[in-house]
Amino acid sequence: MARLLEFDDVHQAFGDENVLRGISFGMDRTDVEVVIGPSGSGKSTLLRCVNRLTEFDAGDIRLNGESVTAMDVDALRRRVGMVFQGFNLFAHRTGRGNVTLGLTEVRDIPSGEARRIADENLARVGLSGQADSYPAELSGGQKQRVGIARALAMEPELLLFDEPTSALDPELIGEVLEVMRDLAEEGMTMLVVSHEMGFARSVADTVTFLDDGIVAERGPPEQLFEHPERDRTREFLGELDT
Amino acid sequence: MDILPLQAGDWAFVGTNWWILMQGLYVTVLLTVGSLLLGFLAGFPGGAIEVYGRGPLRSVVRGVGVLLRGTPIVVLIVLFFFGVQWPDIGAVPLGGLLPLPAFEINGQALLASTAALGLRSAAYQSQVFRGAIRSIDEGQLEAARSVGLSKLEAVRHVVVPQALRRSIPGFQNEFTIVLKDTSIAFAVGLAELLTRGFELFTQPAGQTAVVEIILTVSAIYFVLTFLTNRTLDRVENRFAIPTGE
Repeated sequence: MARLLEFDDVHQAFGDENVLRGISFGMDRTDVEVVIGPSGSGKSTLLRCVNRLTEFDAGDIRLNGESVTAMDVDALRRRVGMVFQGFNLFAHRTGRGNVTLGLTEVRDIPSGEARRIADENLARVGLSGQADSYPAELSGGQKQRVGIARALAMEPELLLFDEPTSALDPELIGEVLEVMRDLAEEGMTMLVVSHEMGFARSVADTVTFLDDGIVAERGPPEQLFEHPERDRTREFLGELDT
Repeated sequence: MDILPLQAGDWAFVGTNWWILMQGLYVTVLLTVGSLLLGFLAGFPGGAIEVYGRGPLRSVVRGVGVLLRGTPIVVLIVLFFFGVQWPDIGAVPLGGLLPLPAFEINGQALLASTAALGLRSAAYQSQVFRGAIRSIDEGQLEAARSVGLSKLEAVRHVVVPQALRRSIPGFQNEFTIVLKDTSIAFAVGLAELLTRGFELFTQPAGQTAVVEIILTVSAIYFVLTFLTNRTLDRVENRFAIPTGE
């Protein structure tokens, strides 16, 4: 059976800059994969290639064996949710309104039913009381949890997280990681770009170290963090510790 | 330099002929609403095309905008009146519904003035909307796309509702300018407020009432501007996005 997600020699350049230089790896249903690496290593670009917010130059990315470039882009995005570093909530809609937009416009769910689904997903991320609040009335951690609920409500096969806690004050990071941890336990397939090594260590099935557009090292967290094979990985992890 | 004294008799003349100014006001309101509506219907898509469009369409929209903004409004009105073959709709009857004597206005002058003021307004409104659209953070559009909305749907549901709200202050300016510039339709003899005032003080009985008539006309423009701006302030507050402050 085809793997849920497969990168096959993916290349991407912006002008003269080769951001991805041949990425290949795959993940299966319920896998949690955390991608780490220095800034500029291509982590976010890799994620954005999956739902084609960035169109890659060469190679292939397959979802359930089907090339994402062959799919209708809107249909692809229905199946792959995304959570953004900067939250990107719709400022003119309440927490509930942020979640219902995709339900009513993309999944054609009637508005009453969409509200019910939205409230259910907001409850799932611990925001039952905030459904009627506008983004500007929420804390950073609450905003990001609305962002997660918005993606979850579409019932995606795969959730992409692009540095979901990097824009948060330190005291707000925990509540977002907690929600992500719960999702992982429920069996959600997640591809996460993050600097949260504690989260990677405890939740990830596999950690990928991306450096300069290539997969420098990849393995289970205990191996990658405790016994990295490459000097470059050791160096990077060493920089984080200090 | 002396200021002409205001005369009680001249004010009385204004008082007895108030309905002539009201007929002018009717035309002014009609022209303002028509021009702003045309300006909105052409200006909003124009602004969107300047932001999202590409190729020749965008170049044409930009070029026409620059041309319209760079031409004096009196030139545009005269050009549209004499230079365009309008369908002959003859005299347009007005006033039947109001407690005013019914009257007629020149249909071609109305069409030419509405077109000139409306297109010029579109050129300015497009810049108001362009700025408002650009001020909406790109990430929101990306988020809408990431749940599967098409670009058009994302713009419609995410960008437009926010851009419209942010356009209200700019639109208030535009309203004020268009309202006052309707007086330039005087140049083609359209019977709007200023033209009707002019008709009054060029009558033999009104010749000493020039200042009183002009002051009355000015006051009408001011009251209209003031009330509409207050109304738009309320609209802005009513639809403001809560900030939690």
